[in-house]
Formats: sequence, structure tokens, C-alpha cells
Amino acid sequence: MSDLIRRPVRDMRRAADMGKRVEYLAFMLGTQIYAVPIQHIAEILKPPPITEIPRAPRNVVGIISVRGKLVTVFDLRRRFGLIESPFDRRTRILLTDTGDDEPIGLLVDEVRQVYRLAEHEIEPAAALGGDQPAYIFGIGRQDDALLVLLELKALLES
Amino acid sequence: MADFGSDSSEKKEEFFSEAQEIVDGLGKLLLDLEGAITESRIDPDVINEMFRAVHTLKGIAGLFGATRMSGMSHELENMLDDVRMGRLDLSVAVLDLLFKAVDLYTHILLFERGDAPDPEHEIAKLLSLFAQVTQPDESPTSNIFTQYDLDPGMFGVLTEYEEHRLKSNIEAGLGLFRLRVRFSLTILDSALEDLKKKAKPLGEIITYLPAPSTDESDFENLELDILMSSKSDAALIDRTLSVEGLVVNPVKRRAAGGPPPKPQAPVSRSPLPKIGAPPSLPPPTIAGPGRLPADLMPETRAGTPKAPPAKSGRPGARTSMAPHAPGQAGQFVGKSAAQTTVRVDIRKLDRLMTILGELAIVRSAVGRLAERLRGSVEHRELGTELHRLHRTFERQLAQMQNGILEVRMVQLGPVFDKLQRGLRAISREYSRPVNLVITGQETEIDKLIVEELSDPLMHMVRNAFDHGIEPVEDRLSVGKPEVGTIALNAYQKGNHVVIEVEDDGRGMDPKLIIASAIRKGVITEDESREMSARDAYRLVFMPGFSTKVVVTDLSGRGVGLDVVKTNISKLGGIVDVTSDVGIGTKMTITLPVTLAIINVLIVEIGGRSFAIPLASVEEAFVYEPTLTRNVEGREVLSLRGQSLPICHLSTLFQIDSFDAEGHDGRKFYVVTVAVGIRRLGLLVDRLEGQQDIVIKPLGKSLKSVHGFAGAAELGDQRVALVLDVAAIVEEVLAGDQSRYLAMSGDGRI
Repeated sequence: MSDLIRRPVRDMRRAADMGKRVEYLAFMLGTQIYAVPIQHIAEILKPPPITEIPRAPRNVVGIISVRGKLVTVFDLRRRFGLIESPFDRRTRILLTDTGDDEPIGLLVDEVRQVYRLAEHEIEPAAALGGDQPAYIFGIGRQDDALLVLLELKALLES
Repeated sequence: MADFGSDSSEKKEEFFSEAQEIVDGLGKLLLDLEGAITESRIDPDVINEMFRAVHTLKGIAGLFGATRMSGMSHELENMLDDVRMGRLDLSVAVLDLLFKAVDLYTHILLFERGDAPDPEHEIAKLLSLFAQVTQPDESPTSNIFTQYDLDPGMFGVLTEYEEHRLKSNIEAGLGLFRLRVRFSLTILDSALEDLKKKAKPLGEIITYLPAPSTDESDFENLELDILMSSKSDAALIDRTLSVEGLVVNPVKRRAAGGPPPKPQAPVSRSPLPKIGAPPSLPPPTIAGPGRLPADLMPETRAGTPKAPPAKSGRPGARTSMAPHAPGQAGQFVGKSAAQTTVRVDIRKLDRLMTILGELAIVRSAVGRLAERLRGSVEHRELGTELHRLHRTFERQLAQMQNGILEVRMVQLGPVFDKLQRGLRAISREYSRPVNLVITGQETEIDKLIVEELSDPLMHMVRNAFDHGIEPVEDRLSVGKPEVGTIALNAYQKGNHVVIEVEDDGRGMDPKLIIASAIRKGVITEDESREMSARDAYRLVFMPGFSTKVVVTDLSGRGVGLDVVKTNISKLGGIVDVTSDVGIGTKMTITLPVTLAIINVLIVEIGGRSFAIPLASVEEAFVYEPTLTRNVEGREVLSLRGQSLPICHLSTLFQIDSFDAEGHDGRKFYVVTVAVGIRRLGLLVDRLEGQQDIVIKPLGKSLKSVHGFAGAAELGDQRVALVLDVAAIVEEVLAGDQSRYLAMSGDGRI
């Protein structure tokens, strides 16, 4: 009888522990791995033809049409001052979905994998030293990987 | 704020749009009423309709928990009821309050949307004003009915409203007639409606009552006793109404000083019974279609503390019976027009439009396929057939597109009505009379444009009033009519709608404008030297410019015409000004008819496609570098004796184009665009052709980028930017307008 009671409790504990884990989509920008909460990514697209916008801010790549909707595509490499490599077969566009803001496209060099990070696997951004911009909210560590975790809302607003 | 519960944004939206519609309708009625008052001919139906509109507002506001609105409606309803019943004279003061109430409604709606501060204070203020004007008038009314040879039995059953109508008709000097008619019970309702309609041009049917039947055994028909007022004679009434068996008898006027009949005096004829009273009558079905729900009747006023005590001209009048009096119910005619229209969320139309745009892309793919098949030997026949189908498809798509566009179009009338109300308010506030003359209110324009139009237009009208129309003394001293005139004209011109705001005021003096602009640091003295009159007029659209020394409530609050200009150009339109000192000023807005689908010219610059709205394109031709001259650093082409400034789009957009370095024998094209009276030649690499596109806005993140109205899919996943011609013309020509204008010598006003 007591066994029957104890087991579910243990399972529940594990579930609660797992519930704290957040899924992050990791991608490459230059040589660094970045990650964003996967719940904010609606879609991963192979780049369609991109229409450049004259006189747009430098980190805007252009606009694309996603099923009839116009989406502005940003180049995070330009945003972060990283080396820009030309488009290749691994280049992708991440379509965001943050709920309130309009969806935008983020150009990335390569999409890696989904990490499920527990709280203890995330260090605050201050661990990088100095003042970190608001859109970097932490550093994720799992196995050997080191992920720069981005806060999309802050990134879009900055 | 209104409590809409959760997940009811659609309902909420419906409430707002319905309420706004009713408020707009009220405003329109009010203007009608004002017009009628000046001609001293008030149509009671207008007041009834206003009463009903306010009642509906009260109802829906209550339903949605918009307490501010329902509270005010309640008081307004009472006031209108007093007017309706003749307890309150429709004076200018009352009219002012009604106008204020309509404006306040708009404010309340904004508040409920969360777009405006709580108007609680304003409402309280208005309500106290209501209370002041609706103080019961205790002066006894003379019983003028006694001058007529009518049996008191008839008076005895008049409702308060009918009595009031009768009284005012008698006062207006109309004759009274008593009509007898017999209708079959089965068609009673429609026959009565018909009769009322026919009677309207002649006068007014005050009341109708079932008459004691001459044939007791006849249950098929009902005889009616009708009291009608008219300025015509009995013969004409008989002819006009042309009802079989109609008997028209004029009610004789008693000799002056004749003894009034005592109300209690026995009468020779049996008193007319009230409907439903006599047991011999079949169940009443009178007043079916026009009948109001019982709660619309004046009894709803019962709980109103401020309402004056219901008083009647005579003792014994039965106000308690009023709520169900058929005569009164008959005064309200059902709003049948509303039943044939549907309210559609414009986003739904946008979705249809998007689908249509995608269909258009499919269509062009089918067209290409047809061409390919026709080109091949073995499938030529199939290709021809497909081509034919494609043509039909194309035609029907175009029809569908026009259909959807038509749905989006609305008349400018309601916007103009709103302006008229606004102008009326400020004109009274400043005691400076002004006439608003409106033409072209039936001009149609995209619903979305209309919504954005009323603020800029209001600003322009206020501006015309404040800066244009002189005080009365000044006008008289220069021999102008005392009352100033502001004209609001709208008309369609090709794919554009032109709206002019013109006043006969003092006009704008270019010298004063320039002086003021220098003083305010908008321009430097050096810049001012080369300015033409037209340049000067344009200065009034610069941020931070206001010529009037005294800052008034109306305009000159810092929010200037520059905002007007920005808002208009957001809609793809432009504003121009012309003026003559002492004669007046005219501001002209030119807007596209629709925002949804546009026909564009696709051009290529440096390998990229751009779309130029054809509405702004005048012509396109091959560029001849030898025909251009350089004037003051700007390239100008002489075209049929006129100078056309040239803009290299590749330079403007910083795109590497072939035309950047040396022309090496390549052809380029000039696309002449015109916005209002300004023209500009855009230099492009290639012309690709025309296409209908569904224009979509660029995202928020690109709102800082100027020169593009949006983008559109061209098919095969290609997206082309659509040039915002107005903005580009503005940017290129206004960037150094003094130079350009001085050089082109364009002083046309």
C-alpha cells in the first residue's frame, strides 16, 4: 500500500523537476552558438528570395513573403558585429513568434539542436563579465556546449 | 470602462461600431434639425428618430456595461422626450446641448476603447446644463383646441404626444380634417402605413381611432376615425389619398369668443372608444409594423428624478394610457433600410483581398503555362483552350476585385457632417458666424482612408476658421459679407479623390509667413531670399510653425499643419495650398481612391524590381542624357517646353546601377510621376510591365525607412517594394525646394 502511494509522489517530483527545464533552439552565428527559447520560434525556413530594402538599417537583410505575409529579416551577425559568411545550404531564417510583436525573421548560419536546460544549467549573463546587453540573459551549459541565451523581446526592442 | 468579459473582442468591436454609427446618425439628424429650425419647419419625425437613436444607444450601452454612456443617454432621452412632447422648446440653447452631447458620445466611445481620459467631469457638466434647460415650464397653456368644433371625446383619447402635435399644427395655422375610412382587417397595417405615406406631403395624421361601426355584423372590416391636419382643402386630401370609401370632413373653427364646450358635456355622438375598450370590436392589431416595444414609450421616464412632472393641457387627460396609444406608435416608422445592410469587419475584406491577390498570382502562372503550350507543336490546341479559359478567369477575377473594392468604399458624407458639427461648435463659441458649404459628400473613398481623414480635415477646417475667417468688423470694413464662408468640396479625379477646404478669409501673406518662419528659426534669412510665394505657403506645413501670434484653443497649439501633412501622406496623399491676400485660402488634399489593390508599373533598378503606382505615373520614355541640363546641381530635362527635374533612383536608394558610371550605350528610362501639381522624372534601368498588386505594409521595424508605401508579391516568391511616390517627390523636391522652385520659375498659384 505504502509503495503504491510513494511511487506517484516520486514521479511527480521528477515531473516538477523536468518542468523547470526550458527548451532552447540553438543556432550558429559565426563560430558562436546562440539559443532562444523555442516557444518563441514559429518556424525554421530555408531562405526564400530576399528583397533588400534601400536605406534600411544595416542589420536589416530585407523582406520575404511567408504565405502572403511580409516578414522583415534581420541579420544578427551584423547586429552583434560578427563575421558574415555568404549564404550556403545550411543558412536558415528563424521566424519568431513572441505573441505581441510582429513576427520577424532572424538570419542564422546554421540551426543546431534543441537543448533542454534546467535552471542550474543557466548562469547569469554577468558571468561573462562586464556589462552585458539586456538581450543576453544568460549562459547555458550542457555537456560541452556553451550557449549564449538570447532574450528575444529585448533583442527586438533594442 | 465597459465590462466586456473575456474573449469578446468581436462583440466589443460590434458594440463600438454600432454605437459609433448611431452617434454619427444622431449628428446627421441634428444638422437636419438645425437646418429645419432656421426655416422654422421642424419635422417631428426627425425628433422621434433622434429619440429612438438615443434610446437604442442607452440599450446597447447598458448591455455592455458602458455606464457613462447609458447614464447620459438616459438624461438625453428625457430631454428629447420633452422636446417631442412640446414641453421643451427647441431653442438654440437646447440645440447646442444636443450638439455637445453628440460630441461627448464620441468622447465616451474613445474612453471605452481606452483611447481617451474619463469624460466623467464633462458628462456631469452637460447633465447639469440639461437640468437647467429642462426646468419645467409652469406657464399654463391656453386651450386652443376649444376653438375647434371637435367633440371632446376625441380629445379625451389623444396621447400627450398627439395633443402636442395637434397643438403645434393648429398654431402653425393648418386646418383640421376628420377622415372616415374603412379597411379590411387583414390589410389594416399596410393600408394605414400607405395612407400615412400619402398624407405626409399634405400634412400630418394626428391620430386614428376605430370608429363605432355602422354595420354591427361586419367583422371583416374596421372603420377608422382619423384626425388630420393639413394646409390643403378637403377635396385635395380626398384626391391625394385616393382611398375607396374615404370621407373627408373639415373640422370647423368656432367663431371667436364662442363658448368652448365643457369637457364633461354630454355629446350627441357616442364618445370614440379607445382601441381595445369596446367588447364588440375584434382584437386590435393596429400599429403592428411601426409599433415600438413598450419600453420605448415614455413610461420609461417614470424613474427619472429630473424629469418635469408630466403635465397636460386639460384635466383628466390619461397619460397613463399613453404607452400603448396606437397613434403614437404610428409616429415611429421602422428603420427598414438598416435591415438590408450588413456590417462587415474590414479585416475580413482585407483577407478576401489577400486571397484575391494570391489568385491573381495563380492566374499569371496559368497564363504562362497557356503560352508555353501554345508554343509547343503537339499541345497547341490544348494551349489555345487553356488560353481561352485563362482569359475568362482573368475577367472574372477583375470583376470580383471590383466587387470587393466597392464594398470597401464609403461616402465622405458622414465625415463632412462631423466637420460641420465641429465647425458649428467653434463658430458659436467664438461668436464668429461662418457658413459651411459642402459639395461632393457622395464622393466615395476607401473606408480605411475615411477613418484616418476626419482628424486632418477637422484641423484644416479649424485652421481656416481661426486663421482665415476675419472677425465680423474686419469683414464689414473691407466690404465682405458679414458671415464668412468655408467651402468643403470633394470630387473624384481619375484614381484620386480631391478634397478642398476653401475659405473667403484674409488669405495668407507670403511675406508674413516668411518673416514668421525666420523668427521661429524654421528657415534662415538666406534661405528666405529665394523663396517664391508657393514656397512660403509650404512653410505652414513645417513643424513648429504657426503664424498667429495669439495661441488660441483652436489651432496654434503647437500641433500644426505639419501633422496634417504627415497624416495625409501616410494615406498616400498630398496637401497643397494656394492663397490670395484678402480673398481667401484654399488647401487641397489629393488622395488615392483605395489602398487595397493598385495597378503598378514594375521597373528595374540595378537588377532589383520596384513597383510604381500607375496612378501617379504620367508617362515613361527613353532617357536622352543630351537633353538634360544641370541647373543649380540638379539634373533637369526639358520636356515639351517644361522643366522636369530628374531623380536617379539608383542614387537615391544607393543601389549600384548601370547608370552610375558612364552610359556605355545602354538605354535608360524616365518615368514621369506627378503628385498634385508637382512632377518628377524617375530614372530607372528597365521597364518590366504593368501588374495589379495587393499592397502590404512594411513591418513596424521598417517604419523609419522612407520612400516605400509597402511591398507586394509579384509571383514566384518575388517581393517588390512599392514606391511611395508622394514621399519621394516630397523628399527630392522639398529637400531643396527653394532651389528647385526658383529655378523652375513655378510660381503658379
